[in-house]
Amino acid sequence: MSWVDFSGHAYLVAFILYCVAFIFYVITIAGQKWSNRNSKHHVARWGRMSFIVSSAGLAAHLTFFFTRWYGSGQIPTSNMYEFMSFLAMAVMLAFTIIYVIYRKPLLGMFATPLAVLIVAYASVFPKDVQPLIPSLDSYWLKIHVTTAALGEAFFAVGFAAGLMYLLRIVDYTRKDNQARKQQRWIEYTLYVIVVVVGFISIVFSFRGAGYEAHFTQENISIDTQGQTIIRTEQVEYNLPPIFKPYNSHADSVDSFLGLEKLQIETPSWMKGVNAGRKLNTVVWSIVAGSLLYAILRLIVRKPLGAVIRPHMEGVNPNDLDEISYRAIAIGFPVFTLGALIFAMIWANEAWGRFWGWDPKEVWALITWLFYSVYLHFRLSRGWQGLRSAWLSVIGFVIVWFTLIGVNLIIAGMHSYAGV
Amino acid sequence: MIQNTKCECGHQNPPDTLLCESCGKPQTEIPENAPLEMRYDGMARRSQKRNPNPLDMVWNFFSSVKIAIIIIIITLIGAAIGTIYPQGNTAEYYKQTYGWGGELYYKLGLSTMYDSWWFVGLLVMIGTSLVICSLDRVLPLYRALSKQQIRKHPMFITRQKTVYTGPIEGNAEQWVQELAGHLRRRRYRVHTDGTALLAEKNRFSRWGPYINHIGLIVLLLALLARTIPDWKLEETIAVRDGETVQVPNTNYYVKNEQFTVEYYDQDELPDRLKNQERPKLYKTEAVLYECVESCGEPGIEPVLEPVIDYDITVNHPLAYKGVKLYQIGYDDQPMLKAVKPVIEDKQSGQVYGPFELPMKNPQTEFTVGPYSLSLKAQYMEFALNDEGDPVTLSRDPKAPAFIFIVKGPGIDASGEPYMYFPLQKDKERFSQDQINRTLASKIEIRVDGMENVSYSAYTSYLLIRVDRALTYVWIGLGICMLGLLMGAYWHHRRIWLRVDDGVLSLGAHTNKNHFGMRSDVAWALAQMKIDVEKEKLDNGGYNS
Repeated sequence: MSWVDFSGHAYLVAFILYCVAFIFYVITIAGQKWSNRNSKHHVARWGRMSFIVSSAGLAAHLTFFFTRWYGSGQIPTSNMYEFMSFLAMAVMLAFTIIYVIYRKPLLGMFATPLAVLIVAYASVFPKDVQPLIPSLDSYWLKIHVTTAALGEAFFAVGFAAGLMYLLRIVDYTRKDNQARKQQRWIEYTLYVIVVVVGFISIVFSFRGAGYEAHFTQENISIDTQGQTIIRTEQVEYNLPPIFKPYNSHADSVDSFLGLEKLQIETPSWMKGVNAGRKLNTVVWSIVAGSLLYAILRLIVRKPLGAVIRPHMEGVNPNDLDEISYRAIAIGFPVFTLGALIFAMIWANEAWGRFWGWDPKEVWALITWLFYSVYLHFRLSRGWQGLRSAWLSVIGFVIVWFTLIGVNLIIAGMHSYAGV
Repeated sequence: MIQNTKCECGHQNPPDTLLCESCGKPQTEIPENAPLEMRYDGMARRSQKRNPNPLDMVWNFFSSVKIAIIIIIITLIGAAIGTIYPQGNTAEYYKQTYGWGGELYYKLGLSTMYDSWWFVGLLVMIGTSLVICSLDRVLPLYRALSKQQIRKHPMFITRQKTVYTGPIEGNAEQWVQELAGHLRRRRYRVHTDGTALLAEKNRFSRWGPYINHIGLIVLLLALLARTIPDWKLEETIAVRDGETVQVPNTNYYVKNEQFTVEYYDQDELPDRLKNQERPKLYKTEAVLYECVESCGEPGIEPVLEPVIDYDITVNHPLAYKGVKLYQIGYDDQPMLKAVKPVIEDKQSGQVYGPFELPMKNPQTEFTVGPYSLSLKAQYMEFALNDEGDPVTLSRDPKAPAFIFIVKGPGIDASGEPYMYFPLQKDKERFSQDQINRTLASKIEIRVDGMENVSYSAYTSYLLIRVDRALTYVWIGLGICMLGLLMGAYWHHRRIWLRVDDGVLSLGAHTNKNHFGMRSDVAWALAQMKIDVEKEKLDNGGYNS
């Protein structure tokens, strides 16, 4: 068995341990109200066990990381699978650091499912080791990507705590406009999370069924001398095509519910690598996620937020507010260093300019500006609690757009990171 | 209206002071039971001046954090709009690729928006706001922190965010001294004044945000400095194998000794990428020359002296005295470098030569056997324009052509023109023999065999950069990062206490991380045998 294969097994172990840790954290918090026990004692005991399991998961994840590094001879942060699994690891690392400071097991209840989702999301992408192209072959790859991801992981923990704060504070018994607005937005946030779950399940279902569709796409571009260049490309779909690639024809399409006859063309302004396939995947995710959400709502017969809310009783909202803020305050310098300063140093080495207004660079700057606005609101304008929590949620949306959205919609220097 | 700004402790405060600069007693009406507003230690700021003149109004505008946040948000949205379509293309490109949306984008000037007056204006406004906001706050804060009173007003102490009041036993002064000892073990600087105490640590972290802002100001100034002529140069040059090219706008020349590309072996690639040519490494073996004589004089070969040898690869630019040469790409379309043609006398069948004919900068006179050739014209990519006149389409030898005036046996004494296409395809395309007419029956210039043709396989693209502001950019970023670290990972903590008639009043303040502050106080009290739950110390109000 090669090191890379071994690392794959370690990854699976980490995934399972994270799932178990999630269940344990839920028992830690929800079990407080069980009749046959002293709540303080219960939290101490189960909290410790949960933390041991999640730390074991992190250890397995680290094993994955270093064995894959050793086996492939290059740091595993150079394609989407490797980057996402590293991000999940960074989230667990950030969670562990915050946990050591605050000793609040309830944070685990939200950080572990986040890690589980990202780990599963990573597995959607091709797992093979891809040799580096020359511009990536630099030690700055290691430094820039890891620190940027660690900064983003702290923002993720800040988001988890912020979302918990919102779930804790928003009153589902109130029916006035203000309260309804809050409830709607929380429900929408939860819906988006369900869509991500939908995406992962749909990809794995069709992959399990071995679904395939092939297209030949003609890409027309105009080079610097004004000459037209036509490149043909083979595009493989693993989900039934609702949207086919722009300017393409089908070579072979497995049939699924007659969708092979539908095939709407992807708009030409979507520029990313394999934009058609990505758009198709997004549409599928929304369909599957909405379906999943509808089923959940049919089962529980009330908003998902209202289902979670009672379990948050007994959690001190001020603690959550503080943790959310601290995670962001710790992450901000790390993000500045990794996503801006190291990125600029590397860009200066590789491309001869430290800043070129490349979309990815601009979005990293936007993320940075947004979190600096968050800090100014909080420190100078006294925005705390509810407003601060919403900012942490919005901030995380911007982080994800920077990581995924830019590669999906906008092509740029970083387009090779997308798959 | 003249406001009485004298505190009951006798200190004369400036107008609009929130907390007495000396004893800390609140100087304004404050809501019951709420913790004090401790920002900048309650000092009056310049921006709070009454009856502002126009300059004050500008100052006040930029000193507002609210305004700063609004400017940042506008910048953020503006920057996002600029990523909708690629930047810096032609009007035609936007219209063709993106339709009316692209056309609108171009017309609104969004295609070059990061250099636009309004975006640069926003950055300048951020810079101004950084300077003024910082000055407006750091000076009063510095004054407040450098002259602190140990014994504070009871109202100041009991209205902090972390507070404790309760009776103590024994001699008050001894009790305070003992507590001081414990706090020193936690690396507090402790000052006592009888039964009053002030313990403080990590004051330097208060300067973090301001240092960070200084760094950002340096960075923004460095970016502005790049608009100074000569501070910034950016050019791309194409250098073929074996070619020497002048580095534009400098006294340097660069020679591409050899360009090489390595590809990954098939067994190094995963299945999905098999049969792809995936480059592993490409490099230009470069020599940089400096011109020492006859530089830039037309018609005279410049005298060059080598200064540095370097293998330029991606991520490893050649750097010499502020000029940097980056490998940014290559072209693997082969191009004719030189040919070694022969001349055949068609009557006798006698062959003379070969002689060396480089595509770039050939000599103008050749003597081959009995013939003499003088070069009259040369075309790199030969074509005929609408009027039927010969022109060259580019500077790359894609379709080279030479016109010689030939003299020799059997040829007119004043010489006859002979047009020569080294490439067989061009020779046929432009019908060389018909152009040369009678001379074509007398002589033929041709290349015998591929060994007499040399190609350069690659063109190496190098980016030339001079950026004098770069050092200042790095300095600015370094200062910025230092400030961030200071401000984010250390916290300024202060504890005040006084004992009055056997009753202890303790208040503690921190600018960040109240959890830590609370633990410190609970720990110190526990050392003095006072056990109190951390949560009970909390006086409510904001966390920050």
